[in-house]
Amino acid sequence: MESEMNMQKSIVLTNNTRDVPRLNVFVEEFCQGMGTDEMVAMQVKLAVEEAVVNVMNYAYPPGQQGNVNIEAAATQSDDGNTCITFTITDSGQFFDPTAKADVDITLAAEERQIGGLGIHIMRQNMDSINYRRINNLNMLTLSKQIKN
Amino acid sequence: MKTTIQEQDGYMVAMLEGNLDTAAAPETEKALSPLNQVEGKDIILDCTQLAYISSAGLRIFLVVLQNAQAKGRHVYIKGINDKVRTVFTITGFSNIFEFM
Repeated sequence: MESEMNMQKSIVLTNNTRDVPRLNVFVEEFCQGMGTDEMVAMQVKLAVEEAVVNVMNYAYPPGQQGNVNIEAAATQSDDGNTCITFTITDSGQFFDPTAKADVDITLAAEERQIGGLGIHIMRQNMDSINYRRINNLNMLTLSKQIKN
Repeated sequence: MKTTIQEQDGYMVAMLEGNLDTAAAPETEKALSPLNQVEGKDIILDCTQLAYISSAGLRIFLVVLQNAQAKGRHVYIKGINDKVRTVFTITGFSNIFEFM
C-alpha cells in the first residue's frame, strides 16, 4: 500500500508528558496504515503511551532533559500474520519496567494502589514485552500480532 | 480535554470530552477537584464524549471515588464507549465503580 511507504516510522520526544499527544498521533497513524481495527489501535496506543510515560518519568534524573526514541516496524511471518513492534529507546539510567511486580486489580477502591497500572496495561494489551540494556541505552520492545 | 461540572437532578455531574491521556491529566484533575468538596450529593462522571483514557486518567477517577466513598457518596460512570470499557475491565476498575 502506498500509504505504508510514506508512514512515519520513528519519532523522537523529550522526557515531558506534554509530548504524549504527538506520540499518540504517531502510533494511531501507524496502526491505521497497517489496517488494524479501532480497538486494536487503541490497545496499542495505550500500551505504548504507558511505556513511554514510564520512561519520561523515571529514566532520567529529575530536572534533566532527555530524549525518548520510538520506532515502529511491521514484520510478516510465513503464515501471513503481521506483527507490529514498537521499540522505545532512551539513554537514561538503568530502568527495566518489566521487573516490576504486577498490581492487584482485584482490590477494593480504598485498597487500590495509585501506581502500577501502566505495566499491567502493557502486559494486557501487547503479546510480548522485552527489555534490554545495550550500550548504556534502555531498549523496550512491545510487540503485537495483528490480523491481516 | 474539556471538563465541565454542573448540578443536575440532585447529582454533581462532570462531563468529560476528548482524550484523557497523560498530558491532559493534570488539567483534568484540577477541573474535577471541586468534586472533592461536594457534600450530600452523589457524583456522575459522564464519559459519553470520552474517547480515550490511560492510567493517569484512571488514577484521577480513583481519587474521586476514594474521596466520595469516605463521605458515604456514590460515583457513577455514565456512557463509556466500548474502547474505554475495555480499559476499565482489564484494570479491574469495572468492579470498583458503578455504571449507568
